[in-house]
Amino acid sequence: MEEGYTSLPTSHLLGSVPAVIAEEKPSAGTSQSLPANLQVFPPGNGGYIPPESPLGGEEQAANNWKGFCSLSSYTPYFNVDTEVVVDRIISSVYPMDDFSRKIDGSPDLYGPVWISATLVFMLAALGNYGTYLIQKRSEQNGDWEFDVSYVDWAACVVFGYAVAVPAAFYFLLQYFGLNANLVRLWCMWGYSLFVFVPASLLLVVPSEIFRWIIIILAGSASSWFVYLNLKVSTEGSDTMPLVVSALVLQFALALFIKIFFFS
Amino acid sequence: MSYGDTIPLHPSSQSDIDEIENLINAGAHSATVLPARAPSPSRASIPVSHSPFPLPPYQKMPPSSSPTPVVSSVPAAAATTTTAPGGSSRIGISTDALESPPDTLTEPVFDTVKRDLTRIVSNLKLVVFPNPYREDPGRALRDWDLWGPFFFIVFLGLTLSWSASVKKSEVFAVAFAILAAGAIILTLNVLLLGGHIIFFQSLSLLGYCLFPLAVGALVCMLEGNVIIKIVVVSMTLAWSCWAAYPFISTAVNPRRKALALYPVFLMYISVGFFIIAID
Repeated sequence: MEEGYTSLPTSHLLGSVPAVIAEEKPSAGTSQSLPANLQVFPPGNGGYIPPESPLGGEEQAANNWKGFCSLSSYTPYFNVDTEVVVDRIISSVYPMDDFSRKIDGSPDLYGPVWISATLVFMLAALGNYGTYLIQKRSEQNGDWEFDVSYVDWAACVVFGYAVAVPAAFYFLLQYFGLNANLVRLWCMWGYSLFVFVPASLLLVVPSEIFRWIIIILAGSASSWFVYLNLKVSTEGSDTMPLVVSALVLQFALALFIKIFFFS
Repeated sequence: MSYGDTIPLHPSSQSDIDEIENLINAGAHSATVLPARAPSPSRASIPVSHSPFPLPPYQKMPPSSSPTPVVSSVPAAAATTTTAPGGSSRIGISTDALESPPDTLTEPVFDTVKRDLTRIVSNLKLVVFPNPYREDPGRALRDWDLWGPFFFIVFLGLTLSWSASVKKSEVFAVAFAILAAGAIILTLNVLLLGGHIIFFQSLSLLGYCLFPLAVGALVCMLEGNVIIKIVVVSMTLAWSCWAAYPFISTAVNPRRKALALYPVFLMYISVGFFIIAID
């Protein structure tokens, strides 16, 4: 008797549910539209451009606040596998040109977030361990205390730097008329912080000379990485002071790390 | 049958009707209507039934009685149901089967606390200790709750704060913030990597996996020697990571397993380091 029910005309009844029409979603189109749509941060609708392209722009603007709050609109930035992340990390340590090509299609935010978190933990933990070693070595009143404020300072400095500096450069580059992509800047700056993680391991050694050598090496490597990648982004126009200031800022961060946490 | 009525029925009355229906249809043997929750013993029952035999407010049914005439045996027959799931010496489950939703409001506080504690212990056994169901994440934390994680996080924060010699309140704040925000961020991380996990179930899980570290923190608070602290914390840290591993690794694509697991290990290692360093 089941088929009898489906043939009953029910649309005239109040509150009836119309039959579901199988809609064709152009799912194949999303794979091509993803890279283009990733330029906008955050992408509305999870990077999906509706088929009516003339209205696409308006719908983007209308849904933008919704895209900001929903989780699925950030998923394209975490679309990386383990090998991809490891590959990017390795290429960040050697300041070569490869990095910008690697993140061209799909900049990811996984790397920046967790490299920053690792760096915060490293700085807080190893900074305290460094003071412990120094105090033991100099044999003062052996009442070393764990300084919890290192955690606060590390978190504020590292996360603040990783979020604010690329955003500031994004706005500056836009002001100068260059087309910059915010997510690429965040990605690049985040990976540039990775070299400080092994550096902080070496900074524990309680010798001042050794510490200064390490931090100068790490700072130079990181700043050079930032400089190279930013130069590629800006295509060598009249923004040389901007790029140089990025380099100087990165080096200043390295110095701050040494002076505040490991001295 | 009162199904044709257009009078809206109280939900518990609907269960009354179902009960009566089952008993009428079941015939000789009583229908074993198991209550949704593990019931508690003697309880004040709010008379909401519209049956012709209104139940007196404080009724405690005898444990078993053979089903006599159907209608009058409605209260008694339900009492012949077998021991409730997870039941200890529980009697008086008749009123339970008839009106399960409002019961938890009127039951004694001791019952509520005991039920929650039982659930915490059973969840703990499922998550942290080896048992045959660990590899099946769907089964493992089906009955998740957030009381256990809350208790462990606060306990860990208090223990760390007590062990610290200076800036006690800041230590508690940092520990609590790392653990609570960390659990949320880790769950979001798994979801963003395209994993399939239920948000609160994952929060609950990450909180329960803190149990070994909480025990380790307690031991380290009582013990002063650094070497012993390192050994104890390493063992409990390994235990916590082992506890969390199957749930996280089965939630994501195998190619991203390390990406999902690394932040979990990072959080536990940082808490472990915190425990060692605080003295």
